[in-house]
Amino acid sequence: MSVKPDSPADELGKWETQVRKGGLGLAVLAILWPERLYGLEILRRLDAQAGMSIPEGTIYPLLSRMKSEGLVDSEWVEAEAGHPRKYYRLTDPGRRRVREMAQSWRAFAAGLERLLAPIKETSR
Amino acid sequence: MSNDAGKAHLDCYLDQVRRNLKVLPSGEVEEIVAELRSHVLDKVEGTPTPERVEAAIAALGSPREVARLNLTERVAAEVDEDRSPLTVLRGVGRLAGLSMYGAFTGLVCFVGYATAAAFLITAVVKPFAWRHTGLWRIPNAENSYSWMLGVTDNPRHGQELLGGWIIPISLAAGLILGWLTWRFGLFSVRRMRRSARRGRA
Repeated sequence: MSVKPDSPADELGKWETQVRKGGLGLAVLAILWPERLYGLEILRRLDAQAGMSIPEGTIYPLLSRMKSEGLVDSEWVEAEAGHPRKYYRLTDPGRRRVREMAQSWRAFAAGLERLLAPIKETSR
Repeated sequence: MSNDAGKAHLDCYLDQVRRNLKVLPSGEVEEIVAELRSHVLDKVEGTPTPERVEAAIAALGSPREVARLNLTERVAAEVDEDRSPLTVLRGVGRLAGLSMYGAFTGLVCFVGYATAAAFLITAVVKPFAWRHTGLWRIPNAENSYSWMLGVTDNPRHGQELLGGWIIPISLAAGLILGWLTWRFGLFSVRRMRRSARRGRA
């Protein structure tokens, strides 16, 4: 039985998924930087602001892990929508962590950008 | 009427999630279920028709998928925090019902720890019950033998092979087997978490 190799488009898609997964934790913490948010709002902002569309069911286990690590805190708030919502906000250790992660990410991205500078989008 | 049908559909979905999470403490299960309910009600924007509820549920994943993600993340977080053999064994036990691999891991860990415990108990008991403890070769009919490790009431039935050497050998075998089982349990819990994340990537 032979296994069909992935097409270049599949390979690129897998690589993009890996890159996005790597940045997901930082993206969620960064979205919580200015204010507290509930799960669906986090998902919508990830999509609208960072183009990160993730399976909806994955956000709550991720937030739960961040909570058990002490990076975020949560509280139930009675909302105008008629049902309670669970809001998440950064804790002080969470703020320190996101600052460190952002610093590390910027250094990494700047280095990569220097390497990519000679590659023009139109080049073949 | 239509909204009631939508809410009934949501309740049915959440009951299935609850059933799949029954190995977690009830407080944690209710917290997860309440958050999922809130998520779906936000998605349908105040009009929980069966179609809208169905679309929101489909985006979350099947009850089994949702339970698997939540369970593996929680168990793996517990194991990351406390890597003691007991925590690993408890975690593996909780994940045993999720998949064939989970069941296999649970079985291997149970047998591994039980055998390691048998070796260690043998090593500890030997000095106090010298003639009754050891590795026994027991002759059967038709020139065959059976083997027994541990403590026996009737040592005359077989031949003890190791004497005092049973203590260091059992101690080493118990510790090595216990360590290997513990490492396998740790590895498996993390593997199941990676697999659950990939399943919804």
